[in-house]
Amino acid sequence: MKTFPLALTLSVAAAAAQAQDVTLSYMMWDPSQLEIEQATIAAFEEANPGVTVEVQAMPPSDYWPKLSALAAAGDLPDVFAMSSGFVDGWAAAGNLADLGPLTEGTDLSVYYEGAMAPGTVGGAMVAFPQNWVAPVLYYNRDMFDAAGIAYPSADWTWDDFRDAAAALTLDNDNDGTVDQWGYWVYGRYAHVDTWVFRNGGRYLNEDGNRLALNDAAVNALGFLASLVLEDKVAPMPQEMEGIRQQDVFPLGMAAMWVDGSWNIANVRSVADPEMNWGIAQVPMGPDATEETAAAYAWADMMAIAANSEHQDMAWKFIQHMVGEGRSASDFLGGKVPAFRAIAESEAWLERDQKPDNKELILEIGAQNVYTGFSKNWSAWRGYAAEGTGGMNGELDEVFNGRKPLNEAIEAFTAYGNEVLAR
Amino acid sequence: MKLPRYTRAHLWPLAFLAPTIVGLLVFRLLPIFWSFGLSFADWQIFDAPSFAGLDNYVGLFTSPTTLKVFRVSALFTLLYVPGAVGLALALAVILNSGLKGMAFFRGAFFLPYITSVVAVTLVWRWIFATRFGLLNNALDWIGIEANPAWLADPGFALPAVVIVSVWRDAGFYMLLLLAGLQTINDEYYEAAKVDGANAWQRFRKITVPLLSRSLFFVLIVALIKSTQTFEITYALTEGGPNGATTTLAFAIYHRAFIDFEMGQAAALSYVLCVVLGLLTLLNFHFRRRWVHE
Repeated sequence: MKTFPLALTLSVAAAAAQAQDVTLSYMMWDPSQLEIEQATIAAFEEANPGVTVEVQAMPPSDYWPKLSALAAAGDLPDVFAMSSGFVDGWAAAGNLADLGPLTEGTDLSVYYEGAMAPGTVGGAMVAFPQNWVAPVLYYNRDMFDAAGIAYPSADWTWDDFRDAAAALTLDNDNDGTVDQWGYWVYGRYAHVDTWVFRNGGRYLNEDGNRLALNDAAVNALGFLASLVLEDKVAPMPQEMEGIRQQDVFPLGMAAMWVDGSWNIANVRSVADPEMNWGIAQVPMGPDATEETAAAYAWADMMAIAANSEHQDMAWKFIQHMVGEGRSASDFLGGKVPAFRAIAESEAWLERDQKPDNKELILEIGAQNVYTGFSKNWSAWRGYAAEGTGGMNGELDEVFNGRKPLNEAIEAFTAYGNEVLAR
Repeated sequence: MKLPRYTRAHLWPLAFLAPTIVGLLVFRLLPIFWSFGLSFADWQIFDAPSFAGLDNYVGLFTSPTTLKVFRVSALFTLLYVPGAVGLALALAVILNSGLKGMAFFRGAFFLPYITSVVAVTLVWRWIFATRFGLLNNALDWIGIEANPAWLADPGFALPAVVIVSVWRDAGFYMLLLLAGLQTINDEYYEAAKVDGANAWQRFRKITVPLLSRSLFFVLIVALIKSTQTFEITYALTEGGPNGATTTLAFAIYHRAFIDFEMGQAAALSYVLCVVLGLLTLLNFHFRRRWVHE
């Protein structure tokens, strides 16, 4: 009995000491998002005296190699941004803390269930969504108006898309050089994969451990290649080398473009404020039915290092960063907060800004979603530091007219299966 | 126990050298042996290494990806060494001919070598841009309308990396050659002029033989450097498009720090080591044929 108060005193003292000098390290991949988050992070520090949050942000192509090196050194930050595309591999390597015990007593129903799904690997929740995103079809309304054609609609077929792209491809001064392209595409996942999934296409087999493209996937890739090579309504990717890919559409060089909804922020900042533009869903493919057509959307997540010494504080921090304390304006353009009440608020729709139909993103997220992510996804798909290789590298060879599609598919399937076998 | 006076006197230098020696042992020598061991291991950084025998080496010579790396590296060396040494020699000879403002040009030619690679490569990316790049617009202006995609076309990307590398390093080699040129006694040239030798004959029969030792040194340095090209590739093309500029050093980095295949990366490093050794041996072998002692 005598020891009890002593133990209590000790543990209280220990807790107080811990609360006093906790340094929580946090790493993420979006420097412009971080600028917005600074205030939220400062608020967290203020609400938790003695807690300091050390933040680092760098673009994805630097982020993943650096994070991997830190993991190998056993020196991961306490909290770090985790992509849906990487979570399988990172969980398999045992780097991610099980959030299950930490989330006990938290009401999770206030978050999008679909956004939380990729964070659960093998039955354990290892990452928590902050926001989710979906590729959308950006289109320039001024150019549609000038060409006298109707804006993309929900019942558009791929032929409608092709016809519109043709009508929007203009050589104004007849010098043989196209001045305005109908469409802009290269081998990037956010450009291509929506078309594939919306056609019922799949890159991976059922188990997600081997590349085995189904016909719908091959047809979708063939459709995109034909837009560039046969119809010539989109430039070869190499012609755009030297221009940031995300600037082609806002600079008015192409009338349509498919990329992630997060690029809404970039279009707003790069485009002429007078430019009138909107977003639509990528049309459903000819090989798909309403059942087989999948929407492409995924969550940007946060995870806690398995070896973090401050897991409770880390979870508290994550809740602070994803929860009701945030405001709609913290989420740039097309990033949808995982916290439903903010996403479904009038403020998030930003009616005073373009595009005027942001609810479209919510509609996409409510559909049957497929991501096609797997272990080593970035290597076989060709993403971030591997963006010049893998499937992206091979598809660019096709779009640049140097390799037939079937040879490229053969090459990236062989390479991808080598990568998946690692 | 008190050490004899002379021993203490010998320990002091060692004590001062210790930080450097320990640093070299731990950060240089140890990794060299460690990576040799690793080249026989399967190690994906997150797990413990396991013995893999010769798997890594066999894999290198059977994987189409690595075979392409060897081809690209050889091509890079073939383009870079003559380009860089040739340009350096031309610049050195011109600067040595006593032109006005030589000090300025010497500085100007050397400048690329000491500028930040990443900063300067950003400028080159702009120069090489397909549609709005300086180079293609200049070509347009003189009537060449080919508009190659310098950084996106596999056929042009490697030459583009070579161009930037040559531009960067030629000034350094030039300085080495210039030092060599200035040791050549003017009397030889004067005597040759009296005998009626023209400029080319003087260059061929006097400059080259008397400069051959400097040239040999520069050649070795350029050859070694050509296998180690990394920063420019990293900042200009990231090894792309589709592996067209992935040379050995870049492939080692990629294998180790992007793919985290440490065993394969170590094996690739030792292949590079052997290649370098063979090239240098070959050079010393042919040295006698043309280097004037």
